[in-house]
Amino acid sequence: MKQISKTLRKEALYLSHKCQDGNLQSVFSCLDIVWTLYDKIMNWSPQKAADEDRDFFIISKGQATLALYPVLIEKGMFSLEEIGSEIGTFHSRYCIQTDLTKFQGGIENNAGSLGHGLPFAAGIAHANKIKRSLSRVYVLCGDGEFCEGTMWETCIFAGSKRLDNLCVIIDDNNSVGAMVEFGSLSAKLAAFGFEVFDVDGHDMQALETVFLQVGTALNGKPKAVIAHTIRGYGSQTMTEQDIWFHKAPNAEELQMLTKEVEEF
Amino acid sequence: MRRAFLNRVADMIRNETDTTFFTVDIGMWAIRDVLRDFPERCTNVGIYEDGMFSIAAGMARRGLVPTIFGIQPYLIERTLEQIKMDFAYQKLGVNVIGTGAAVDYPKYGYSHYCAEDVQIVKAIPGCEFAAPGTARQFLQLFNQSYRDGKPTFFRVSDHPNTEYDVDVKFGKANVIQTGTRATVIAVSVMLDMVMRVCKDLDVTVLYYTTLEPFDRETLAANCPSGRVLIVEPEYEGSLLYDVHRALSGRTLRIAHVAFPREIFRNYGTYEEKLEYYGLTEEHARAELTNLMDF
Repeated sequence: MKQISKTLRKEALYLSHKCQDGNLQSVFSCLDIVWTLYDKIMNWSPQKAADEDRDFFIISKGQATLALYPVLIEKGMFSLEEIGSEIGTFHSRYCIQTDLTKFQGGIENNAGSLGHGLPFAAGIAHANKIKRSLSRVYVLCGDGEFCEGTMWETCIFAGSKRLDNLCVIIDDNNSVGAMVEFGSLSAKLAAFGFEVFDVDGHDMQALETVFLQVGTALNGKPKAVIAHTIRGYGSQTMTEQDIWFHKAPNAEELQMLTKEVEEF
Repeated sequence: MRRAFLNRVADMIRNETDTTFFTVDIGMWAIRDVLRDFPERCTNVGIYEDGMFSIAAGMARRGLVPTIFGIQPYLIERTLEQIKMDFAYQKLGVNVIGTGAAVDYPKYGYSHYCAEDVQIVKAIPGCEFAAPGTARQFLQLFNQSYRDGKPTFFRVSDHPNTEYDVDVKFGKANVIQTGTRATVIAVSVMLDMVMRVCKDLDVTVLYYTTLEPFDRETLAANCPSGRVLIVEPEYEGSLLYDVHRALSGRTLRIAHVAFPREIFRNYGTYEEKLEYYGLTEEHARAELTNLMDF
């Protein structure tokens, strides 16, 4: 695992420990995706965070919101010390979910209720078309989230409106497979008019290659990148013990998991 | 009132490039020209309210002014989480125009009735609710609020007042007449009926077309008796919290002429429903007489 992947995970562990809450399996599942977008793909920087034509990153799988902070820290938007000193406290602007109204940039939406981020992102993408803006919209969803009806309502809209400036990334860690016989997500999205890509969601080089392909394909089709991931990737303990879906590390666990990440 | 709204939408789409309009497959004929000429900003999205609300929120996030048109229960009850999370929590604006107020589709059954709309919207802080009594009042209220950056719900009735059509201001009640023995709160399309009962009586009549935010100041200044009759075309008690807050610390006697809180299992006509549930002159007169004689 690359050093940046380790750094992001260690910061997520630290923030979860400080907050004493979090969904670390889900966070570890998507960190490589989010970092690749911010570091290699998106027209975004802390200085551009409120620019009219910036690219948007929308988090739809709200349980992984904690993944945003390490990425934005490493990009220079926030500081680890600031977030660590207040996360989860009564008046803090940082917590397990975000509150858009407390930020002037860096955070683009509130998440927490599944099935909201994708249609919200589609609305931004459609607005970008109306405004003739080059801004693109990247939205991170969970595969389990595709059980929500609003996801498919949005697929109708995105296909119908030919939102080729919308890229839906599915953090496919086989959550839905544990619930229902879902069938092929790829085939379903293609049937709704999406151009679908498959990629290893922990291979940053492969992710970058796919996202660059997505960026150049302005062909009237919304894009879906199915990123195959592993819950808790980066920690052996977390990949094996599902209790880490919703559990914050105590001081001893923080030390143990940090060591695991460093040695992964 | 519906026609006035759709004409206003057509005008808005033609002349204001930052506005958008979504309909869930109703009202298309009246605005077919703008649907054809402005397909990016004026869209029949298909039949899905939940996703449409979140999509509209995304458009508001980009500085556009979205307006949604549909049938009241689907706009308000099916989408409650979208109203709460996407608009209210994120402080984003939308205009939601609902037809089928209370029992305006009297033969369609409970799926199409929505006497609970006011209470539901009032439960989410930051939302606004307007219930104009005439087409002209709809235009006044819409024009005063549609760019205020808040989720604003408009209840468009097919049974407007025909005798009283006063100028209204968003967020303010009208003092129609003043008296000493009771204060009558007439809501939206109830004004004509209320005035038939009250015009020769020594009572105050306040006319409310904005139900959220509720104008507590005007009520507080116009209720000398502490006796209040609320005549509202929605579930009984929808405004009770506001009335208590407006008149807090005072001894009150409150009576209601409104739809009872029960599931409506009948059909028939709109007029039959008003009769059955007591939204009538006779009932209002009886309640007011009891109130004044107490």
